Formats: sequence, structure tokens, C-alpha cells
Amino acid sequence: MSNNFSVTVTDEEESLKTQLLTLNMGPQHPATHGVLRVEIKTDSEIVASATPYIGYLHRCMEKHSENLDYRGIIPFCDRMDYLAAINTEWTYVMAVEKMLGTEVPERAQYVRTIVGELQRIASHLMFFGVYAIDLGAFSPFLYAFQDREFILRIFEELSGARLLYNYVWIGGVWNDINDSQLKRIDKFVNELEESVKKYHSLVGENSIFISRTANVGVVSEEMAYQYGATGAVLRGSGVDWDLRKKRPYGIYDKLDFNVPLGTGEKGQQGDCWDRYMVRVQEIFESIKIVKQCLAGIEAGPVMGKVPKNIKLPEGEIFYKSECPRGELGVHIISDGGKTPYRLKVKSSCFTHVSMLPEMAPGMMIADFVAAIGSIDIVLGEVDR
Amino acid sequence: MSTLTPDLSTLANKNDDREKLTFFGWFANIFRAIKSVSTGMLITIKYVLSVKPVTIEYPEVREELPPNSRSRLFNDVDNCIACMQCSTACPVDCIYIAAVRRDKEAPKLKTDSGSPIKLDLKQYTIDTALCCYCGLCTTVCPTECLTHTTDYEYAQYTLKEMKYDYLDAEVRAWKHRIVK
Repeated sequence: MSNNFSVTVTDEEESLKTQLLTLNMGPQHPATHGVLRVEIKTDSEIVASATPYIGYLHRCMEKHSENLDYRGIIPFCDRMDYLAAINTEWTYVMAVEKMLGTEVPERAQYVRTIVGELQRIASHLMFFGVYAIDLGAFSPFLYAFQDREFILRIFEELSGARLLYNYVWIGGVWNDINDSQLKRIDKFVNELEESVKKYHSLVGENSIFISRTANVGVVSEEMAYQYGATGAVLRGSGVDWDLRKKRPYGIYDKLDFNVPLGTGEKGQQGDCWDRYMVRVQEIFESIKIVKQCLAGIEAGPVMGKVPKNIKLPEGEIFYKSECPRGELGVHIISDGGKTPYRLKVKSSCFTHVSMLPEMAPGMMIADFVAAIGSIDIVLGEVDR
Repeated sequence: MSTLTPDLSTLANKNDDREKLTFFGWFANIFRAIKSVSTGMLITIKYVLSVKPVTIEYPEVREELPPNSRSRLFNDVDNCIACMQCSTACPVDCIYIAAVRRDKEAPKLKTDSGSPIKLDLKQYTIDTALCCYCGLCTTVCPTECLTHTTDYEYAQYTLKEMKYDYLDAEVRAWKHRIVK
């Protein structure tokens, strides 16, 4: 019996061997932005490896869509990326319209662009606030939410809901936007320009923030290519790729805006600060786009001619657009019926989550939190 | 489990390539810290002194929602012709309708918009716990009897109570109800 408990140390080195500590982060953790579980192996403070586990928010949206008509899928598209629902449903709707051959009225295109860019601003403001919380600053979150609140209020007046809009419909948009709302948006974006500059000087120029984010979580250009990163993660690494510029959809070819890139101003190119800065600059670019749309919008109908029962022709389509978090791709296969034969969504957040194991080794745990925050994932889109 | 066995000594060195601290660098650090902290504090103080509170104290102060806000569903059963379009459009199948053919001898009924009612509604139940508030049912309604109201306080203690039968006299009286 005593043999079972005796410890025989043959080698002195063997007895002093250190082990990696396994640490579970999530699925209920404020820093993982939803229900992401990351299994971290640490040597004291330093992360040796990280393995993300996903699937906690899986709602079977793709399979469920096979039993729904094409209009009924739009509310489910909202629930994928719930912080940027307009852009998500816009992508899906554009795919259906392309297959159906629907002409979208000019005013509807302008309204879609206005709400889409406002949604991008709201999403980036959310990133800005939550990222500051991840790094230990609380007040920027409240400032960002104050401005985000205006956008949600406008969307509530337009569509009736605050987050899950069901506003972009096949053939146009649900409700028309009126002049007083356009005026309020115009006033808001002018004020927002000033306040975002102020918020940036509060957070982005702060030396604590810079030392927490510069040179942390570096994604090189090559790594971004290899993983297929998109959106602000790709542009933060200095790759000039924006679908709104490269393959314009909607009315983006008529609009004038720049594509902000990571420059490595405070550290290396592709670090967390660069990704933060790309998003802050994208807010200014979105403001620019909204202003141009407000100047160019003209009266007219907002719904095109769409058959009452939508039946797509037999075939398939893959359509993608630039969402706040990256490129969202929608693949629809139709067998000519009322419901899609198969609907597959390619999510950018899933790609970005899969980059974590390569980013993690050698980081401090606190830096790892900063890295998760900087890729700005929404778990609803990862799991769908 | 993990096949990845990184050399921990090299991992630790990754973080040690910071710039060497000099005498002037030390003071420059202090200056930079004071500058950036005071920039932030100035903005915060400006907000404390000049910006009015934007929050409201909810149970005492209630906000009025915009008129086309999508909250509690209400069906005006007197105008309903039991066409089943709402339950067909519903993506989560939360509307339950039962109707029988109206007697030929019974007095003819019409909706407010003038369309004849040929079916007697026996049940019109919406499971508001299952509802996803997408608004698709209200857009297909031909007589516009099914609408979203701006009333958002109708939670119950059990899921069963969340099933509202609109033929029920109590629920019928909720047409213009907004909890104040």
C-alpha cells in the first residue's frame, strides 16, 4: 500500500521541472466579447498557447433558413452580427437581388448607404468603448454610447427596432426616411466629427493606452494573407483592400472616400494600436460618405418591383460586402423553389478567431485580452 | 494534449526588447505621463461640469417610443378575416389561428375597410415569448388589424402566461394600453 504513495525522484532536474498551467478563459468572461472560450496554457504570466473553442452561440441559422422563404431569412441575418445588423442583412439582400435581377430605386440605394454607414459608425463606436474597457478605462465607453444612442434612436424611428432592424428589404428598404430625420443626421454627423476627435485624444493618444497596445498582437501582412483576414485586421496590417473601393456595390463607386491603413505609427505595423486607429479613421470616412449621401439624395420611391412570392431561379451565387468587422460572404444555392436549397455564410469573425493561436504565444495574459479586443469579434457571427 | 511545446526562455525574452531607460528618458516619461493624463482629465472635467445627464431613472420616468416602434403585437379581432397570411409569414411560427366557416343564416359582418368576414375566429393566439418582433406579420395583413403597439411592459412570470389570446376580453381591452 505504501508503494502507491512513495515518490521516487531519480533526477534532480526532473523534480524542478516547471509545468504549464492550463487556464480557462470564458465562456462567461467580460473580455471575450460574448461566449468564446479560450483555453490558455500559461507559464506564470506568459501565454504559451491559446486554443479558442466556439459554438456556444450556435443557433442553426443556416439549416433553419432552408425552411424559410426569402423574406423570412432577413430577421435571422440580423441575428448573426447583432452589432451591425444593417450591413449583414444588406449583404444577404444584395445576393438575393442579384439572383432575382431586381432593380433597386436610386433613393433606396442612398438610404441603404446612409444607414449602412451609420451602422458602421455605431459598430466602431461600440468597439472603441468596449476596447477601452478591456484595457481598464471605463469612461470612454459611456461617451461612445452617448453618440451610439443617437444612431440607434434614428434606426428605431426608421425601422421600429433598436438592434435587429429587418429594415433592408428585397427590392429596397421598409420605410422611407423623411426630411427632418435627414436634417438630424446631418447635424449629428457634424457634431460627431468633433467628439470622435475628442475621444481619440482621450484614449488613442493616452500614453498608458499606447504602451498597452503598441507592439502587441502583431499581425504581419503575410500572416493576414495566409489566414484570409479581412476588414480592419487586414487594413491594420497595411494591405489596401476594401470591397467598397475594389468591387463597388450599391452607389459606392459614386462616392469619394479613402481607405485608412495601418502605418505602424506607435509601434510595428499591424499591432493593436494600428487596428484601433484604422477603425477610428474609418469613422471619419463613414462621416464623409454620409455627408455625400445626404447631399445627393433625391425624392423617389424606396421599393422596387418585387414579386409577391419570391422564387429564385435555379443556380447559385456568392456575394460579399464590406461589413464593419470584415467581409461577409453569403452563398445561396437555389433549386427554383420558395426556399433556398442551401445558405452558407462566410464570416470574417471566424477567420479572425482562428488567428488567435498564432498571435498568442509569448504574450502576457493582459496583452492577450487586448489582442482579442482589437480583432473585434462578435460571437453571433462566428457561430451563426 | 497539446503538441505545441514552445521554448519558454525565448518567449520571455520577447518582451524584454524595450528601450533602455536614460536619465533624460526618465523625466521625459514623467512629462509624457502627466501630459496624457491631464488631457484625459480635462475632457472628463468638461463633461462633469457642462454636459447634462443623458440617462433617465426608468421606473419613475418612462420614455415614449417612436410611433412605429415594434413592441407588443395587438390584433383587433373584429377586423380579422382569418386569412392566415400572418402565420404563414412568421419566421418562427408563433401565431396560432383557428377559424370555422360562418353560418349562411347568420347576419353578414364586414370589417372597417369593407371586406366581408366569411370565417368565424375561434382562436387567435400569439406566443409573445417565441415572437422575434421582426414585423413581417404586420406588413402582410390585408385589413391592417394586426399591428405593433408601442407598449413594452407586458412580461409575465411563466411562459404559459406569455401566450396572449386576443379573443380574451382582458387582452382585447389592451388596444391602446401603455403602462404609465
